Amino acid sequence: MTERTERVEPPEQAGAPGRVETAGRGRAPAAGPDAHPGGGPGAVRARRPKGRPLLYTAYSQDMALLDTRAKKVWLALLLGAAILLSGLPDDLLVLLAAGYIAAIGAIGLNIVTGYAGQVSLGHAFFVAIGAYTAAAVSGDPGGRTLGFGITSMLVWLPAAGAVAALAGVLVAPLAARLRGLYLAIVTLGLVFLGEHVFKEWDHLTGGPGVGRPAATPELFGFRFDADSALGTRAQSLYMLMLVLLVVFAVAARNLARSRIGRAFSAVRDRDIAAEVIGVPLTRYKTLAFAISSFYAGCAGALMYTITGFFDPGSFNLLMSVQFIAMVLIGGVATVSGSIAGALFITLLPRLTQELPALLPFVSADTTQTPNVFQIQVALYGLLIVLFLVFEPRGLFGIWIRVRAYWKSWPFSY
Amino acid sequence: MTLTREPREQEHTRTTTIVTRVRDRARATPGRIAMREKDFGIWQEVTWADYWENVQLVAHALLALGVEPGDRVAVHSENRREWLYTDLAIVAVRGITVGLYPTNPAAEAAYLLSHSGAKILIAEDQEQVDKALAVLDRCPELERIVYVEPRGVRGRYDDPRLTAWSELLEIGAAHREENPGAVERRMAATRTDDVITLIYTSGTTGPPKGVMLTVGNVEYAIKLLVEGGGFTSPPPSERDLALSYLPLCHVAERAFTVWFNAAAGVQVNFAESIETVQANLREVQPTILFGVPRIWEKVLAGVEIRLESASPLKRAVTRFWLGVADRIGDTLVRTGGTHTPRTRALYGIGWVFCYRALRERLGMRRVRYAASGAAPIAPAVLKFYMGIGVAMHEVYGMSENTAVATGNRPGRIKLGTVGEPHEGVELRIDELTGEILTRHPGTFAGYWRDPRATADVLDPDGWLHTGDVGEWVDGTHVRITDRMKDIIITAGGKNIAPSEMENALKASPYLKEAVVVGDRRKYLAALIGIELDTVGEWARRRGLPYTTYRDLSEKPEVRELVQGIVDEVNERFARVEQIKRFALLPKELDHEDGELTATQKVKRSAIERLFADLVEGMYRSR
Repeated sequence: MTERTERVEPPEQAGAPGRVETAGRGRAPAAGPDAHPGGGPGAVRARRPKGRPLLYTAYSQDMALLDTRAKKVWLALLLGAAILLSGLPDDLLVLLAAGYIAAIGAIGLNIVTGYAGQVSLGHAFFVAIGAYTAAAVSGDPGGRTLGFGITSMLVWLPAAGAVAALAGVLVAPLAARLRGLYLAIVTLGLVFLGEHVFKEWDHLTGGPGVGRPAATPELFGFRFDADSALGTRAQSLYMLMLVLLVVFAVAARNLARSRIGRAFSAVRDRDIAAEVIGVPLTRYKTLAFAISSFYAGCAGALMYTITGFFDPGSFNLLMSVQFIAMVLIGGVATVSGSIAGALFITLLPRLTQELPALLPFVSADTTQTPNVFQIQVALYGLLIVLFLVFEPRGLFGIWIRVRAYWKSWPFSY
Repeated sequence: MTLTREPREQEHTRTTTIVTRVRDRARATPGRIAMREKDFGIWQEVTWADYWENVQLVAHALLALGVEPGDRVAVHSENRREWLYTDLAIVAVRGITVGLYPTNPAAEAAYLLSHSGAKILIAEDQEQVDKALAVLDRCPELERIVYVEPRGVRGRYDDPRLTAWSELLEIGAAHREENPGAVERRMAATRTDDVITLIYTSGTTGPPKGVMLTVGNVEYAIKLLVEGGGFTSPPPSERDLALSYLPLCHVAERAFTVWFNAAAGVQVNFAESIETVQANLREVQPTILFGVPRIWEKVLAGVEIRLESASPLKRAVTRFWLGVADRIGDTLVRTGGTHTPRTRALYGIGWVFCYRALRERLGMRRVRYAASGAAPIAPAVLKFYMGIGVAMHEVYGMSENTAVATGNRPGRIKLGTVGEPHEGVELRIDELTGEILTRHPGTFAGYWRDPRATADVLDPDGWLHTGDVGEWVDGTHVRITDRMKDIIITAGGKNIAPSEMENALKASPYLKEAVVVGDRRKYLAALIGIELDTVGEWARRRGLPYTTYRDLSEKPEVRELVQGIVDEVNERFARVEQIKRFALLPKELDHEDGELTATQKVKRSAIERLFADLVEGMYRSR
């Protein structure tokens, strides 16, 4: 994907006259092989002068994934920290691993809602499809529920994504016809449809209150959900999810800076204008739903490998709202924001559990008021409201603000 | 016309010119970057091999079009790659480059084209083509117009004399096929007294005059200024970057762009336009930066505006460190530009809090040598740059002496002076008139087709009369009082140099123009033009509504603001030199309206004529 997206493309509006013009601007058409001023493929090397981060001599530099030294350093530090975190107690590691999976799902929602601007409340539906596909593919053929016995992750993970993506493609025609609130309501309908189907389809889902075993995280015979010589079960799962998150996040970032990503942004900013400049709306909206659903499917498939068991009642509206909250709190149309938001929302229950120790009037007992679970639910709502009012760009927006403050020093703009 | 140079021995070795320098560089380091130009959002790079290839093609094309030694070829374009290709190609075929200011209106373009007798015109775009076509009947010698940007020209104009740049290159390629080595042969015949360019003076009084510079003049300037490190220390090299944004037809920009590039390999980066200079500076972060006072004043005013609207903490911190910078500047002025341990320590701390970021934002983080020239500048402006760590030097020179006269050398700066004469330059100040005279091999060959004007400024024994009045400071440095013809003699018989006062006024971020008048009057008065950006911002912060420049100028509050600045400046001058009254100009001065020259210098006489009622108003009894 990286190869593809780094291709140097002339700006959209550079039609034939523009090209002639550039030829006129100093490029010798009849010149020898070494005559490739700037734009020619032979001359485009990253050989810009040192210490001038704004001097772009090729489009590839402008679009680079890590275009500044600061980004490279930060990424290395964060990755290093994430690896060091694997020394944490097992219960926290499991929580973080769950957060990483949620982040994959949140990135998926951000692709369709943040980058392409198509509000989707149906994310839980696609997560469910992924979860059941993976569970069915890797399930025990002789078991109570449907299963094909292929436990390799290499099979069930892409399968989960692909089936979810297919569902996304089927839903996409709605998106091509609807916008904004109407699309949100229609995708909301998906969640209810899904909930009903999954509750009734006992052979696949095990039925409400019973559930079925989740997919088995096995790769080339290695079981991630069991203690091994390499580490405890929690550590194996943590590292697996970390690696997968990095893969999915990098893929999403690459997508965002590619032609497809630019088309998504154009559709989001003004779909009519995008169509006028030649972006095929239906194709890109379908693509957005397909990719987003692929992410959701993969997230769903992985999500329950940690607990090993899941119930059809999980895929309700609350799950969709949680994903929306991750995107909004993290930052719309950013990958790093999605990750931050997902970790925040996943770790929030754990944080509220610590509340009784700090605030004596908060109880850990569900029979008393106020208790931590009530506060937890209230916090979701409160945080979404506060973020939308004060920092619509989310956690990432706060980061951007902090960065801009120092970047613009000693001025304010 | 008097040619003062002894005829050189006719070298059997071929004459070194800027073209041979580029050719040799292209052979030695073909892959290194010679220049960059921003195009479609990225800086397109041109290697030395590309550069030389294009020069050859254009040179062959000029041969094919019948350019003979001594023929004039005009270039009417913003700074861009093709300007350099053309300039070098013209020198290669022993033609004469005539630069036209992009802002020259059609009438001035007509004068320059007809006066120079240009045979070929390289016009940048439809705008310049239109100007040329409008005055074709007055330029009988003009045979061909080459347009670089085809937009709006190709397919719409059918004048047979029009040729596209791409066609020019094709002509060149075809000519090279048939006559390989023709350009090299023509180059080999180059003599040191070949005129290679006409640099038209900006013409603050009377029509512009064409200064003839020869191969020898330019080589002298290169040896002294570039290779000898006459400005920078150490001398410029391939690792240096420069931003080219002032008109290339001016001798200073030609020196800093074409000559520095050809002789030292300095990488030239072309700014997109004069409006984007600040943004381009940030991107390019040049190491060598030349500016005219107007640019330095504007950057300083920009700092003021942006500081005013910064958040309180940033403003407080930056104000504090700018205060420190001011004191550092004071010390540097005293020491001639060398840090003392104390200022170095102070600067080091301030670098962390302010100067590094400030210079980065201004695009001067990596500037190792900055120069101001081409017009007088207020010392306070220079001190600001010295204080924040930009090595700022005021230099002096003119077209007539190939920009070689004096310069402040690093470590030996005297603020308020234009520096010491360069090595080997003879400079004296006329005892009677106070006029500065120079003599060296860079002295021009005369004004084009104007032997009388040449005789006026060039002594038989080779002294060039610069027309500037100056004095020695400490016996080593030269201070320029003013242009000779600008000196005001009041009714009281007192000689006054207006530029000092004008620059003191213009050092204020709120004022853009100041023209002091008072010749044969009983007191001095000034026409003052406000800076729309800063005063507009000032008015906005005060909640003062305004519509146009004129409306803003006429606000009593603005008048008060200006009065405050005038009073402040007046305190620094003797009573008779003080400005008693002033009037605000109702419009921004403009080249198109004949108020400014192409180099944005005020045409004093035109101003006094155009705003005669304002001037008279200031002398009417109250």
